Amino acid sequence: MDTYKIIEIKQSVFEDNNKDADLLREELKKGKTFLLNLMSSPGSGKTTTVLRTIEALKEEMGIGVLEADIDSDVDARTVAQTGAKVIQLHTGGMCHLDADMTRQGLLGLGTEGIDFVILENVGNLVCPAEFDTGASKNAMILSVPEGDDKPLKYPLMFSIVDVLLINKIDVIDYFDFDLEAVKERAKKINPNIKIIPISARTGEGIDEWANWIRTEIKKWKQE
Amino acid sequence: MHELGVVIEVIKTVESFAQQNGLTKIDTLVLQIGELSSMIPKYIEACYPAAVDGTLLQDTRLKIEILPGNAICKKCNKVFNLIKNNMVCPSCTSKDWEILCGREFMIKEIIAC
Repeated sequence: MDTYKIIEIKQSVFEDNNKDADLLREELKKGKTFLLNLMSSPGSGKTTTVLRTIEALKEEMGIGVLEADIDSDVDARTVAQTGAKVIQLHTGGMCHLDADMTRQGLLGLGTEGIDFVILENVGNLVCPAEFDTGASKNAMILSVPEGDDKPLKYPLMFSIVDVLLINKIDVIDYFDFDLEAVKERAKKINPNIKIIPISARTGEGIDEWANWIRTEIKKWKQE
Repeated sequence: MHELGVVIEVIKTVESFAQQNGLTKIDTLVLQIGELSSMIPKYIEACYPAAVDGTLLQDTRLKIEILPGNAICKKCNKVFNLIKNNMVCPSCTSKDWEILCGREFMIKEIIAC
């Protein structure tokens, strides 16, 4: 008869991933690649925003894009047309990326000569918030048609991001979207959050967004 | 539905713990899940058999303990359960509170030899 005993582990399930994410952040720092994790719900304009961002910054830095989706390669094809280095990751039904999947994506992409990588995470406001990808900074997009109540519904996501882009600002007049209410709700959850209204379609606010990226990369290099 | 991916991570962690500590049989795995975490115990139980298939934990029983989602009211300092009280302080009806516990998702312990 085997003798069983109780062995305490007391370990958070996210701990392994958190450690791995810290490790990946260090690796990226050594390789001088700044990784931005871009999150949002489906249809918020992530890919169009990525295209605009590449356009604004491609003359001054080497840009790579990791496109994460459950299936298809439509986003990667679109982004590849800009000339940026891009790789499509299939999560195979998984609703988020973790640090190890991100590392594999970066290996596949190849970060040699790449200063700035955008990780376009799976369109989802829930799970990606819980899994540290190892990114240097976290960004999210909330688009006007989604409604101004999203910070109330997905507080964790709003609490972990460094910057919030409010996209499709050009159509705000057609929606009951209270910009001030969103700012107040987001700041209540995350007092340090930077909020930039943009329109990836018209290009409004893209300068400010590109400047935010430049400044953050500069700060990161000096750290 | 992200439980399967997460349960697979749990299994990996427990397997490596077992290897490091020279354990050969794991009778029971005990997880603690907070009421406010995004993990749904029912789904964890549903995908568990698929996740342990072919691993050291193939015959391991799964036990889940639920931790309450409690908060302290910033106005009157009352400690209350957020779910039962609809996210509102039952003594002063304030919505200004701080979470004390309930977001956890822990591997508490294993019963093994």
